Amino acid sequence: MKSKKILVFISTLLVIMLLSACAKSSNSQESATSSGEPQVSTTASAKSSAGSTITIAYSQGAGQTMDPHDAGDLTSASYAFALYDQLVTSGTEEKDGKTVGRTDKIVPSLAESWKISDDLTTYTFVLHDGVKFQSGNAVNADAVVYSFERAKDKGESGSLYTLANIKSVTKIDDKTVEFKLGAPNHLFLKYLATFSFSIVDPSVAKSNPDDYLTQHSAGSGAFILEKWDPATEAVFVANKNYWKGAPKVDKVVIKYVAEASNRELFLDKGDVDVALDIPAKDVESLSKKDNLTISSQSSNRIVYLGMNAKYKPFDQLKVRQAINYMIDQQKLIKDVAYNQASPLKSSISSKSPAFTSEGYEYKYDLDKAKTLLKEAGYEKGFTFDLTVNSSTQDYEDIAVLLKAELEKIGVTLNINKVAPAQYRELINKKSAAAYLGKYTSLVNDPSYHYGFLLDSKGASNYTGYSSKVVDDLLAKANVEPDEAKRTELYKQVQKQITADSPWAYLYESNLIAGFNKDVQGYIFYPDEIIRFSSLYK
Amino acid sequence: MLAYVLRRIAMMVPSIAGIIMITFILTRVLPGDPALMITGEQALPEFVDKVREQYGFNQPLLVQLWEYLKQLARGDLGFAWHTGHAVASDFVSRFPATIELTLVSMVIALIVAIPLGIVAASRQNSIFDHFARVLSFIGSSVPIFWLGLLLIGLFYSKLGWLPAPMGRISDNINPPTHITGLYVLDSLLSWDMVALKDSLRHLLLPALCLSMGTMAIVTKMIRASMLEVIRQDFMRTARAKGLSERAVIYKHGLINALIPTLTVIGLQFGALLGGAVITETIFVWPGIGNYVTESILSADYAPIQAMTLISAVLYGCINLIVELLYGVLDPRVRYE
Repeated sequence: MKSKKILVFISTLLVIMLLSACAKSSNSQESATSSGEPQVSTTASAKSSAGSTITIAYSQGAGQTMDPHDAGDLTSASYAFALYDQLVTSGTEEKDGKTVGRTDKIVPSLAESWKISDDLTTYTFVLHDGVKFQSGNAVNADAVVYSFERAKDKGESGSLYTLANIKSVTKIDDKTVEFKLGAPNHLFLKYLATFSFSIVDPSVAKSNPDDYLTQHSAGSGAFILEKWDPATEAVFVANKNYWKGAPKVDKVVIKYVAEASNRELFLDKGDVDVALDIPAKDVESLSKKDNLTISSQSSNRIVYLGMNAKYKPFDQLKVRQAINYMIDQQKLIKDVAYNQASPLKSSISSKSPAFTSEGYEYKYDLDKAKTLLKEAGYEKGFTFDLTVNSSTQDYEDIAVLLKAELEKIGVTLNINKVAPAQYRELINKKSAAAYLGKYTSLVNDPSYHYGFLLDSKGASNYTGYSSKVVDDLLAKANVEPDEAKRTELYKQVQKQITADSPWAYLYESNLIAGFNKDVQGYIFYPDEIIRFSSLYK
Repeated sequence: MLAYVLRRIAMMVPSIAGIIMITFILTRVLPGDPALMITGEQALPEFVDKVREQYGFNQPLLVQLWEYLKQLARGDLGFAWHTGHAVASDFVSRFPATIELTLVSMVIALIVAIPLGIVAASRQNSIFDHFARVLSFIGSSVPIFWLGLLLIGLFYSKLGWLPAPMGRISDNINPPTHITGLYVLDSLLSWDMVALKDSLRHLLLPALCLSMGTMAIVTKMIRASMLEVIRQDFMRTARAKGLSERAVIYKHGLINALIPTLTVIGLQFGALLGGAVITETIFVWPGIGNYVTESILSADYAPIQAMTLISAVLYGCINLIVELLYGVLDPRVRYE
């Protein structure tokens, strides 16, 4: 019996020794010197030498894909902008000593110039000379044609392809490409600047399975994907041969840190250089810290309460107006958004072209709301469910605040808090009588915005709002080449929608990010997508 | 014995089949349209339909089930669209983290709980007993998220003794050579002291946090069953025949008290494997718990199904091991 035990012991020991003999220590002296990184964890010395790495704490998980044509979430979009270039891109401007992105101003990128035909349906682009993909292949007309062919069939980019109304993409010569559109489209260049129309390397994409780009990069962008582990991090290394000039850092590491309190802590302690999505309530306290800079800037995100006229009592304009009179935007901004937001006075962001607050006369007025309800026949009030997405605490806070306000006019608001997938299904089926919605238009243009949200056929028209006047005005504006005339049409659209009040406007959100003092080069873009290529320290 | 094990494994088959069916149906019946989640907010309906078709969500339920079973038979766990990776690859990268956390927290819990429970029982109403009672009271009532934040605040933020609770190993240290995927074990096997030290420093707080609940339950269990055993006739006999108190407690008492405790440990182990979500979130630990939660929130069917299936199999195995251990501890238990 005893000898058996000894035998077992010895054989276990042997197995362990055998295993350790096979395994080579990855932190041995040799590997430490060869990788050039300090392996001993005296953090102080390790950190100082890692000066050319920027670490960013992301909030919303690892993103769905590295494929720019499949990307549909903000995280994936930020990858696409780092890995790939587009024909044209969003411009920037200097404002108060800061560089700010302008998604409504388009500047050259891979295309150095373009010509637009008189009927506005043919766009001819001339590509930049000597631009190479990360693989070394040239970025030429074939690559452009291939990329658009590929984008056409993918879920996310396919939608934009359809919306942009592209009829054909043809190679004229090696550095010239011609686009034919189905109709004049003044926002075509804005479409081209989206990540969805990134130019991919055909030789890499074609020689691999179709889903290869989901986890690999094949672009001409400032960064190359080194590693993507959705459980922990994504690592991007600088493209030293980047045609616009190599990035000023060697590496960008993205860490997935779901808890906001952790992101703040890591930022404060210097374990990450940048932390995204800082909660509004912490902006004030973090701003006081000497080692941090907090950027809180108004994005294109609008937050609103949608009311579906298919459901009683929202079929009555007066009821919708009464709800509007019960919205105290200043209070919402102060109590829910901790002053990191601004009032919303139209159905489109104030940073959008042709924005107007004309026609918006609502202000908090209890008596007016009561009178309107009485006129509508709801003197005693009514009860309704407000569908709220559980993914963001802010929206629940809004709902709680509104509930308290509406009680004053006898209206009972039941908060129907649901998980993101269920929320999307509910509002998409238009089966929510009222819901809290948010929207950040990918393309900064009223045609795009209203085409989704308030055109009667709009894919994101969750209130089922349908106005012939608005539809006609939009149809006219879509093909109107003259900017001044177009602006006028959009203003009429906004006034009409505000008058019909399918929504109660709540506020425009800020995009808040925290930086260590030594991090430079952050450019805020109102579309909420982070362009981390410009960061350095 | 072998026949018994085989019979038990065979008995697991119908319950696994049942679990496959139930999970499949539940994921589909619960509200939430994955196609809408995949395409994002700014996609046209025709492209949402296209994605629906591509993933087969538009097929009748029975067809989908058949496709899923065929896929399982091929050993394919499917694709998790919300991470952009195959479920199998997500699993391989995350599961060792969960196992490591669970094992270490279990070890911590048992190291504290077993001696404490024994002492508390053998010296009933002494100061040790009171201490054990207070500790298990705290362990079972303190919320993990609160304790976790407190520990992080103290050891990382204030004192700076431990590295940022961000993953399993520091950025400037290479993970140990992959053998089992458990960093502590791997760095021991490859004698990589740098990695060992760092991974232990990362593991310490989450494991401690997670161990609290188990520690409390096991302490209580051991104390209660020891108290029962101590009063048995054979204990008096053991003392009467002149055995030392030590031998009486450990050789005769503990062995008998361990049997009910083992059941609890087995159940706890299963629970820890599946349910360390809060600990994982607070300590940014790349384990399975978070993954499953994310999958459920985004209606990502494949990982939900796969993880439920794997947990079920694991749970079955742990139960089987526990049952076999009864036989080791108690010679009266025989499996035929």
